[in-house]
Amino acid sequence: MIQRILLTVGILSSCCLPPGTADDSHPLPTASENAQQIDRFLADHWAELRVAPAPLCSDRTFVRRAYLDLTGRVPTTAETENFLKDGRENRRFALIELLTNSEDFVQHFTDLFDTLLMGRGSDRDYEQRHKHQWRSWLERVFRENQPWNTAAAEILRARPTTPADSGAVWFLYERKEKYQDIAEAVAPAFFGIRIECAQCHDHMIAHEIEQQHYWGLVAFFNRGKNVNTKRGPRVAESAVGGFSEFATLDGTSKPNLLTFFEADVVEEPRPEKDAKEEDRDDLYTPGSDDAPRIPRFSRREHFVTDIVAEHPLLATAFVNRIWAILLARGLVHPFDEMDSVHPPSHPELLKWLADDFRSSGYDIRRLIQTVAMCRAWQLSSQQPEGVEDSSTFSWYLERPLTAEQLARSIQLTLRGRFANDSPLVGNVRNAFPDVLPDESISTIRETLFLSNNPAINQFIHESSASGSLLDRLFSLPDHNQRTALLFETLFCRDADSDEHQAISDYLGSDPDQLKPRLEHVIWSLLTSAEFRFNH
Amino acid sequence: MPSNMQAISSSPASHCGSVDHTIHRRQFLQGSLAAASASVASYSALFSVPAIADEVQKQGKKCILLWLCGAPSQFETWDPKPHTPTGGPFGAISTNLPGIKISSLMPQCATIMDRLAVIRSMKTEPSEHFQGIDVLTRGDKPRPPFVRPILGSVIAEQLGQLDCPVPQFVLLDPCPEGNEFKAFKAGNWAGWLGAEYGPVRAGGEYSIPDLARPENLTQADHSDREALRKFFSRRYENDHRSQAAASYNAAFERVRGLMSCAPLFDLETLPADDRKRYGGGAFSQHALQARHLIENGSTFVMVANGMPWDNHVFQHEMHQMLVPELDNVLYQLVTDLHLRGLLDDTLVIAMGEFGRTPWLNEARGRDHYPNAWSLAMAGAGIKAGTVYGATDDMGIDVRDNPVDNRRLFATIFKALGINPHEEYSLPGLPTFHRVEADAAPIEEVA
Repeated sequence: MIQRILLTVGILSSCCLPPGTADDSHPLPTASENAQQIDRFLADHWAELRVAPAPLCSDRTFVRRAYLDLTGRVPTTAETENFLKDGRENRRFALIELLTNSEDFVQHFTDLFDTLLMGRGSDRDYEQRHKHQWRSWLERVFRENQPWNTAAAEILRARPTTPADSGAVWFLYERKEKYQDIAEAVAPAFFGIRIECAQCHDHMIAHEIEQQHYWGLVAFFNRGKNVNTKRGPRVAESAVGGFSEFATLDGTSKPNLLTFFEADVVEEPRPEKDAKEEDRDDLYTPGSDDAPRIPRFSRREHFVTDIVAEHPLLATAFVNRIWAILLARGLVHPFDEMDSVHPPSHPELLKWLADDFRSSGYDIRRLIQTVAMCRAWQLSSQQPEGVEDSSTFSWYLERPLTAEQLARSIQLTLRGRFANDSPLVGNVRNAFPDVLPDESISTIRETLFLSNNPAINQFIHESSASGSLLDRLFSLPDHNQRTALLFETLFCRDADSDEHQAISDYLGSDPDQLKPRLEHVIWSLLTSAEFRFNH
Repeated sequence: MPSNMQAISSSPASHCGSVDHTIHRRQFLQGSLAAASASVASYSALFSVPAIADEVQKQGKKCILLWLCGAPSQFETWDPKPHTPTGGPFGAISTNLPGIKISSLMPQCATIMDRLAVIRSMKTEPSEHFQGIDVLTRGDKPRPPFVRPILGSVIAEQLGQLDCPVPQFVLLDPCPEGNEFKAFKAGNWAGWLGAEYGPVRAGGEYSIPDLARPENLTQADHSDREALRKFFSRRYENDHRSQAAASYNAAFERVRGLMSCAPLFDLETLPADDRKRYGGGAFSQHALQARHLIENGSTFVMVANGMPWDNHVFQHEMHQMLVPELDNVLYQLVTDLHLRGLLDDTLVIAMGEFGRTPWLNEARGRDHYPNAWSLAMAGAGIKAGTVYGATDDMGIDVRDNPVDNRRLFATIFKALGINPHEEYSLPGLPTFHRVEADAAPIEEVA
């Protein structure tokens, strides 16, 4: 158990720093030191606005929150107890360090980034992402804590050099040569901006996003072609073509130069209009059976080296997104509209975080630890009186569990283990597609699913094997003990006397009714807001 | 029992009995728990047993919004400019209002112009869809972090019967997509009024998934476990002052109501003749369903179909398909409501978020144009047979009586008997009015 071993590791250990980033003379500040810097930024803002933040949350609340936010599931009762028993003053930081080094952390952040980079898909899309190693490639990014700029470059270059890197092509490949789709996905995924509006005209509100940025971004990818090699799917690139003009609103047309938002134009010889280009072999370095030939002037390569590598938004968008994941809204909100219409709530903090992320070598785990160790993440979720503005981060904003968090937590609490490929995951995913919604609005569709879809009922009903929650409840001697076990397992807390009474009265005294009624009680707890939200 | 309790019609409404018809059987709702939980404000709601009267409630105003998302062209609908360089290929035809012509694509509406009120002088600000949809469905520009409720939520709150199992605000929109409208749909519709005033969304394949209770669960078990869920969940909502949980719990409330009137959402229960008359498209069928919902207790039904009207490309060809459908739907709906004696109490609005440019772009499309555009209304307190405002010869600007979103909303509220200028008094909310700046209703229209 990686977790048990790591419990003994102190929080100031350097094990979380990737090799080569810490220079002995100028060691990087640790995540917890960094977190204090965040605390100062936020506290200054609170003082300025005369906002009194919520108090720190209780340890019980903290442990559930930490497991959900960092590992994508609720803790087991044993994990909760372990934490509550830990008398050390730094137990919260120790838990953060433990969890961010666990395999469940890898799975959870892979789930999140799969959705953020690829979007939700059909069951078949998920099978394909798995089969073509996108999933395992993304897992490896988090497991090995690869720097984000490296990962981004691999995805956008889409030229794997080892079999293990094959999956990186899937971001482009799944979009099937639909170059506008690719551009519209690249902009929010790596730069935190939405450019759809700029297809037909310069963005009418965020004026800085221009039509040439849209078509420039398309041009970087419009020579791509999906091919199948012995080593699996690849995205080949042509050395010719892909020149076009786009029509502006005033009726003129402009060439689709290789450029992007906040970047220069990449120079490329442009053939005369209507001139026929010859697709000669000498325009390429030769390929092989398992790797397509590469143009000597590769637009994708230029995009990676000339645009992405130095782009200021690469780090800023990423830190804003991690902030949004952990604090339920971005410093820029919505997190993927980082334009002039959506100014950051804390510009200095955002800049500082981005600078720190860059100087750490785009160290993802350290960034997540940094944000998790800040005080704002540990505040009570009870909104303080007199404060309305959630962008103050003066209380912990509750957020609905994602489909994966929900499906995993249901499995774990009812059966003591979970499988990512349980049919429950797919069912819940279809009903709850949202990840990081701008606002938490419950829909009728979701609610009908919880109320009536057989998937949940059946899962509860079939979770009665020896050792399961249902089995243990059934064998307990009285309703009080049953209620206590239910609340510990599902809510990570003790039931109060009203709750004891409610369950006890409902379960009644008819032994024949005990099992079905226990199932109903489990349903009612699983579908109550306390379980549905992370708070 | 309150005298204003929602009533349900007797024929299709025999499906519509309350789920809550029995007082909860189990002890847990009656014994010591009730006393112990007095502190949980909502606990008493567990005991509320709405009674359903037997006849349709004919008092009370209703509203159907045909939401023409993407924004139709005024030139191909209500404000044709034939024989101008940019007027397009379609002519103008006479209507049953002397001297008033509308697009030749709308022959049926031409015969009921005396029941309609058309505004030809809409002049609004936003020229992008999301902002346009926002302003024209909420009535005003955003002022973050406060979210103004959408028209349907305001009307559901003012005129609706929350204890009625029939959803008061229904959005019929079979198309989950639609660019900016899709993004808009993902947002907060009910705003500061709270989630219970948000819409029930239906549409699609004319059915709602998971609407039926699981077969192996009795009605009693289903409602008992829901009562337990509500008890736990409301505690969390109250303890945390949680808006997210309020939205979550409100959705369960509405699901209960929705399940009790599931057949209302089944188009198959409607007469085949009606379905044929309205036409085969999703928009037409949902307009018919809107009539049916209004007749059976809904207060506000919004009918949309993604964002089909945004014709930047080949606008004439696209409008040649879309406008005749709208023409028929509006004609059937207004005529039906009239024949059934419902038009006096039911406001029908057909509008989008702005108009289209007088000039054509290179793709023979018309682009966004908030500067001078048209919409139509009928029923409730609307003065029938009115054409209000006018544009100049080319339709470039409003010539007479410009109407902005505030005046439009003031007119809509007045037509429904709602005070347009009332101040919202909600905890934590700064001063907001139903319509800001005392914008006056248009006397000639309502």
